Amino acid sequence: MSNGDKGQGVITRSLGQVGFTPLGVALFVLLVLCPFIPPFNNEYIVRWVIVGAYFAAQAVAFDFTAGFINVVPFGFAAIVGTGAYTSAIFANQSLGLAFHPGLSPWVGIWIGALVAGLMGFGLGILTLRLRGIFAAVMSWFVGIALMGLARNLTWLTRGPSGMAPVTFFKSTSNIPYLYVILAMLLVIYVSLNLMTKSHIGLAFRAMGQNYDAACASGINPTRYRVLNFTVSSMFAGWLGGFYAHYLGSLTPDSIMDTSKTIEILAIAYIGGRGSLWGGIVVAFPMVFLMELIRSHSGMPGLQFVIYGVLLILVMIYYPLGIAGVFQWMKKRILPAFAR
Amino acid sequence: MAPSAKRNNTWALLGASPAGKGVVLFSLLLAVMIGFTNGAGSLFNVLVTGGMWALLAVGLALVFGVMNIPTFAHGESFMVGAYVGFYVFNPMQNYLLDHPNPTLMLLAPLLACLGATLAGAVLGVLTERLAVAPLRRRTKEGWIMNTFLLTAGISFIMINGATIVMGANFKGIPRYYDFHPVEILGIRMSVDRLVALGIAVLIIAALVWFMKWTRTGRAIRAVSQDEMGAQMVGINLNFIHTLTYALATAMAAAAGAALLFMFQAYPTVGHDPNYYAWFVIMLVGFGNIYGAVVGGFIVALLQAATQTYIGIQWADVVPTAVMILILILVPSGIFGSVVKGVHEQS
Repeated sequence: MSNGDKGQGVITRSLGQVGFTPLGVALFVLLVLCPFIPPFNNEYIVRWVIVGAYFAAQAVAFDFTAGFINVVPFGFAAIVGTGAYTSAIFANQSLGLAFHPGLSPWVGIWIGALVAGLMGFGLGILTLRLRGIFAAVMSWFVGIALMGLARNLTWLTRGPSGMAPVTFFKSTSNIPYLYVILAMLLVIYVSLNLMTKSHIGLAFRAMGQNYDAACASGINPTRYRVLNFTVSSMFAGWLGGFYAHYLGSLTPDSIMDTSKTIEILAIAYIGGRGSLWGGIVVAFPMVFLMELIRSHSGMPGLQFVIYGVLLILVMIYYPLGIAGVFQWMKKRILPAFAR
Repeated sequence: MAPSAKRNNTWALLGASPAGKGVVLFSLLLAVMIGFTNGAGSLFNVLVTGGMWALLAVGLALVFGVMNIPTFAHGESFMVGAYVGFYVFNPMQNYLLDHPNPTLMLLAPLLACLGATLAGAVLGVLTERLAVAPLRRRTKEGWIMNTFLLTAGISFIMINGATIVMGANFKGIPRYYDFHPVEILGIRMSVDRLVALGIAVLIIAALVWFMKWTRTGRAIRAVSQDEMGAQMVGINLNFIHTLTYALATAMAAAAGAALLFMFQAYPTVGHDPNYYAWFVIMLVGFGNIYGAVVGGFIVALLQAATQTYIGIQWADVVPTAVMILILILVPSGIFGSVVKGVHEQS
């Protein structure tokens, strides 16, 4: 959305550096202000924006791996869950569990990110010297194993019945959480954007497009892929921490199941792989629509069928996704107006 | 001299590395240990489960070897098989309650399996024609990863679609055959399990025969070796692809129906079969069909060993630990990967 053309202002260009266009900034400001604009200032809408931003941020972190180095972390949800559980465990105050350090959730969330990042690092070292499919399948296996651990280490996680992590804020209002998740989304988006616009991002793209050619031109594939995996996992774990301390309840199935990965995958791919911002644009309306379908259709699971069908259609017929539509409009439609 | 030469041939068929031989020997040792701890009857159960994992894994290996598709929706073929098996068998069973008929009683479970196999084949043709073939026509770039995600999407649709259509409750049968367990060599074997093992062995044998001795089977192998070359000698690539995919889904569906007495039909029943079939494939090496047969039994043994010595709650964790070892020591699988084509490109 943001290749700073000649003749544009300094502000636009520097915005472009961090992956924003004026339109993007306007939309983001709208999200920030939404609790104060009359039709949107109810808890329901705020909650939706929070969930949307949570999914959007995950889609960005997911796309950073899937869309750039063309390796799909199929255990993404489990990495998110690892962050969530780590954070919840370190913030745990209940004496019912063996480990109760009782740290502030604001500290726990960082420990969660760190542990998830280490997990991604280990997984990357293990699989990323091989072809991409090994990483995808192994990541799925590790995801299932992590879920098994979360279920079985009952002295640490209370098992399938789940934990009740402390929340960030004492008040029941959603608005503080909105600002936390929007800030997280901003940090993730901007830092990943800066990364992909640097020479590192160039190497990522080169490897994703033609692995062998990239190796031949002197890119050490394993090093870059592991770096990518680690960063993506770290942000995933960070978001998991938010989930834990926002909802205040955490079960293995609600966060670590493979179907959660497929939801994120669908959002990221419908948004357009390799764009980063496509996932954000898609996440908010999708989450809203799916919530409507879920609550009004009376058919449990219908929203997931729609997710799946959209994913398949995009994969087969329009791999560029929404980002591709925007690029096309920018090329074809905007010049017509400029004349 | 002759027996040793024969044994070498078997190893060659598997493409066994030293690691492969080691793992096979270790598994045999494990089998003896389990036999001593739990009695020989548990080994029979391992054989049944192993046969089923082999049946599923062979399908995965076939599709990967011929079409370079890492199918994630394999478990959902199993699920469809289980549902079809239930809906074929259940009415017949109700009918039999009123009208006893020994022939139909013997045939009913087999008819259920047959129905499931046909349904699986239809499912395979539909999936291949509606989703895989359009993608192949458009682009081959990033084929492996794209088809993996495509089939993941299909699996997602099918699981949730099944929840909508069938509801989330379990549809199962206590047993197929109401006979007393058979006793052979002092081992009590339930008839259902014997039949399931028989079906697995029969289907795998038929597949091997088909691949080795028929014209179409040879064509499939030709495509797996060199698509372009196969096309040049006049093999209809589209037909072979659809056939291969349908064979795999049909085998998975047959497994689903044959195991209905163990795995009741419900929307996510395919998760474990899919997981273990993938475990087999990663263990033995991508696309190695003969390896997948042996691997099915190795994985079943490993499962039994996990249950016996470690505890069933760790059933999700142990395979990953084993996989980590495999990836560190022999990443191309214990019997070696035999895939050519796109696999080398991405």
